[in-house]
Amino acid sequence: MTTTPVKQKKRGGLREEFRNPERRTAYYMILPALFIILVVAFYPIAYSLYLSFHQANINVVGNFVGFQNYVLMFQNTEFLEGLRNTLIFTVVSVFFEFVIGLAIALAINQAFRGRGLVRAAILVPWAFPTVISAVMWRLMFQDQVGIIQYAASTLGIISDPILSSQTLLLIGAILVDTWKTTPFMALLILAGLQTIPGEVYEAARVDGASVWQRFFRITLPLLKPAILVAVLFRTLDAYRIYDLFWAMSNRELESLSTFVYKGVRISQLNFAVGNAASVFIFITAFLIAIFFIKGLGMQTSTEE
Amino acid sequence: MMRKVSGSKRGASRQNSLAVVRRRLTRRSFLKLGGAGLAGAALLGVPGCSGGGGGNGNGEFTFAMGQDTTGALPGLVERFNQQYEGQYVCNYREMPTDTGQYFDQLRTEFQAGGGDIDVIGGDVIWPAQFAAFGFLVDLSDRFPESERGSFLPGPVDSNIYEGAIYGLPWYTDAGLLYYRQDLLEQSGFSEPPQTWEELKEQAQKVVQDSGTENGFVFQGADYEGGVVNALEYVYSHGGRVLDENDPNTVVVDSPEAAAGLQTERSMIEDGVSPQSVATYTETECEPIFLRGESVFLRAWPQTYSIAGNPQDSVIEQAQVGVAPLPAGPGGQSVSGLGGWNLFINAASDPEAQEAGYEFIRFLTSSEQQRAYAQEGSRLPTLQELYEEQEVLDAVPVIELAGEQTLQNAEPRPVSPFYSDMSLRMGEQFNASLNGELSPEEALQTLQEELEQIIEQGQNTVA
Amino acid sequence: MSAASASTGRGGTLNSALFYVFLVVFVLVSVFPLVWIFKMSIVTKAELFESPPTILPNTPTAASYGTIFADPSFQKALINSTIIAGVTTVICLFFGSIAAYAIARLRFRFKSIVMTLILAISFFPAVAIIAPLFIQFRRIGIIDTYLAAIVPDVVFALPLTIWILVAFFKELPFDLEEAAKIDGATTIQAFRMVIVPLAAPGVFTTAILTFIFAWNEFLFANTFLFDDNTQPVTVVIPNFATVYTVDYGAQAAAAVVVTVPLVIMVLIFQRRIVSGLTAGAVKG
Repeated sequence: MTTTPVKQKKRGGLREEFRNPERRTAYYMILPALFIILVVAFYPIAYSLYLSFHQANINVVGNFVGFQNYVLMFQNTEFLEGLRNTLIFTVVSVFFEFVIGLAIALAINQAFRGRGLVRAAILVPWAFPTVISAVMWRLMFQDQVGIIQYAASTLGIISDPILSSQTLLLIGAILVDTWKTTPFMALLILAGLQTIPGEVYEAARVDGASVWQRFFRITLPLLKPAILVAVLFRTLDAYRIYDLFWAMSNRELESLSTFVYKGVRISQLNFAVGNAASVFIFITAFLIAIFFIKGLGMQTSTEE
Repeated sequence: MMRKVSGSKRGASRQNSLAVVRRRLTRRSFLKLGGAGLAGAALLGVPGCSGGGGGNGNGEFTFAMGQDTTGALPGLVERFNQQYEGQYVCNYREMPTDTGQYFDQLRTEFQAGGGDIDVIGGDVIWPAQFAAFGFLVDLSDRFPESERGSFLPGPVDSNIYEGAIYGLPWYTDAGLLYYRQDLLEQSGFSEPPQTWEELKEQAQKVVQDSGTENGFVFQGADYEGGVVNALEYVYSHGGRVLDENDPNTVVVDSPEAAAGLQTERSMIEDGVSPQSVATYTETECEPIFLRGESVFLRAWPQTYSIAGNPQDSVIEQAQVGVAPLPAGPGGQSVSGLGGWNLFINAASDPEAQEAGYEFIRFLTSSEQQRAYAQEGSRLPTLQELYEEQEVLDAVPVIELAGEQTLQNAEPRPVSPFYSDMSLRMGEQFNASLNGELSPEEALQTLQEELEQIIEQGQNTVA
Repeated sequence: MSAASASTGRGGTLNSALFYVFLVVFVLVSVFPLVWIFKMSIVTKAELFESPPTILPNTPTAASYGTIFADPSFQKALINSTIIAGVTTVICLFFGSIAAYAIARLRFRFKSIVMTLILAISFFPAVAIIAPLFIQFRRIGIIDTYLAAIVPDVVFALPLTIWILVAFFKELPFDLEEAAKIDGATTIQAFRMVIVPLAAPGVFTTAILTFIFAWNEFLFANTFLFDDNTQPVTVVIPNFATVYTVDYGAQAAAAVVVTVPLVIMVLIFQRRIVSGLTAGAVKG
């Protein structure tokens, strides 16, 4: 919807592609970034893939074993627990982050007194290093000194110690993550909002559209690219959650990434299985991205 | 940087049952394939090899150890460098304070060839795990049995794996019972509890009399410390984890072990400990006791020195008593063995290994152990030092608890797969303490899990 | 530019009251932990652990701040964090904006593949990359240098940078660029003279997000950096400990010291972001 969609040539051949000066420039411009990413990341990923099909421990790689590590992985109760926690965490936290983030963005897109202050305030949680905030929240959840545990049990919401229950820990992690990354959502959506020209609204108002009509017919569709980028990145981040779980629950709460960590850095036995799990994360995250791009019509380029 | 990464040398030192698999594509040779790729990253403008840690033929070596929060360790290293000036140079590399993180870091280091570190200060549960994979130098010749007798037996044994010794004991730790002497006396108890049952009775009475918030706090969280605590109950009730004669036989699912876990659980059930004790590590327990909010505390020896410090502590040192941990029904009191040993990295240069061993002898000498006790409150591993008044003055907690506590300290199960076992034990012990599972259920699950680990271990590597 | 100025119309005072209530609640929730941590940083250790917790500090003390600033490794860590995050941001923006511009504006065939490749790094768990990277970094000799943190930070931040910038760039009025080209400017010139100024707010937002991302990174720094000379605050702060107990007061103080500059930075620059965004909404 942005610029004139140009018909893609059917099959131009690589040579022709590079002969075109504009296209050649484009490739030159992309190459450095692509090079940095591929050089650093490609090898470790390929290496994990290789290990995941072999019998392996920390210092020796043995026989090719096909999918055995993947079978072991799906039989592993910790892995299944991590998978379950990760899915719940991702869906719930990204949902809340999106809804609240959108509301905030709409709110502070208006001119009002103290807007700068609000804008700065929302960035406070985001600016907090995750490890530090995990330690601090843990202290607030703690039963003897924690303000939240104290408030919650005084109000009669919960009686159990938060840190002793997996369920409460997971809820806590969702809370902390929502607190921490909603600003990120809000900021990205806000930036998207700012690019919507004012006269679009003027025209709609002249046509007699209500506030809600304007929101659903104009704002939301025009925001779609910004929203999808923000939600996709939050989803992929949440899906790989590691440090928050690790630090806040004192290594207790399992996620896919903590399972990988235990496999490749602690366990003497699950080294290959840990690598299988990281390949699993890679592939499923890829599917998630495909869903966003194909299923939700996220634009990866101006040309379809 | 590629200097000491020869796979064959590593292969030769891998002498034991873990002599691994048929096709010997070592990781390192595979990793080299990838090296070319990343060399591209060097385009970012890095000057090549920086020289690294290990020996460069001038007696230089690197010593890795977690950050010493007492600050005494850099002084020891400094003294070594002065004493051996012109001969050896020790570079101290600070590792993470958190033992778990330190372990993870070392593992990555070993995986990368490990040649940058020469001497390793490591936890007493590490030798089997590292030795089994050929990461540590066998010190059986340098540290013969005739010399071992002068050290405490527990710490020495912790270095032995499949008949060979891989490290020297540096300093030791053992679980102790701290109690509020003043409150106990007020309630008419002249002696600290001898058994777990007595502890509960005393705690209940004292809490009632004095209004103290908690009777007893200990480390019950799902982590390494929680494993040590639970094992103290299991051991003192006569339970074991692995068969003493055959480390491949799991015996944890026994009535004795269940009785032990039941006793631990009863601390919560009988209202002596808060439910949240199942989430406590040292970090949570200690301040509770030091604020005067608990009658009893299970802790390591260092806590005693903090008790005197007005910055950290509300109660006075005079109010604190220290005793061996209570005994089980059989009259047996068992402390979990902690502490640190010194190892040599199998991947470092022979010269650096030589220099490193000199350093190890230096640190474990009676002179330096005495100094470390005085400067850092670390408990020596040399028996003779416990007869010296100046050492006992430096670590008064031992005189209070009795040296016997150190003699009775029991190690955790020795296994190349301890990390995996510890994760399982931590989870099941915690589930039992929490009340999620009965002790019997938890032990039954644990038995199966540990058996699976051993079986899997034999398949993967034997 | 105030696009959805709903509250000024018929809604009247009730709406705007609700609006402010919403804002106040939101700001409070956002800021509360920082305020609480600030409180933790100025109380005594005994009060820190008091139960029930005190709301206002009984006897405020600066002892925790004294502890951290007496520690030379903390000051060094602040500098290290600034260097690592700063360099990461500059590199990311430089390569990211060039690539994003090409993707957003230029026509070429493998766009979707390129975008997916760039995104692919966001599919992979960072924890799994550590060991192989460690080995490679050792080989090229950058372990324990700033680069060991900067390189992976750049790699993990670049996809985000590029994707956000693409989204921004696509919304810019490129008719202007076409006009510039017709006037004889090259692609590069058109980019520099026309697009860069208009894109500034979006780029700035991206810069802040990238900077904070790198500033907060822990895993790589913790694995690849060994000593005070290179370690950033995220690694140093959790290590504020006494013999066996963690010094929460010092950690809290350090957290405040680390966060406040970012908040101030945002406060200063947000005006620029706003004004930039306003300028960005060019009519016609």
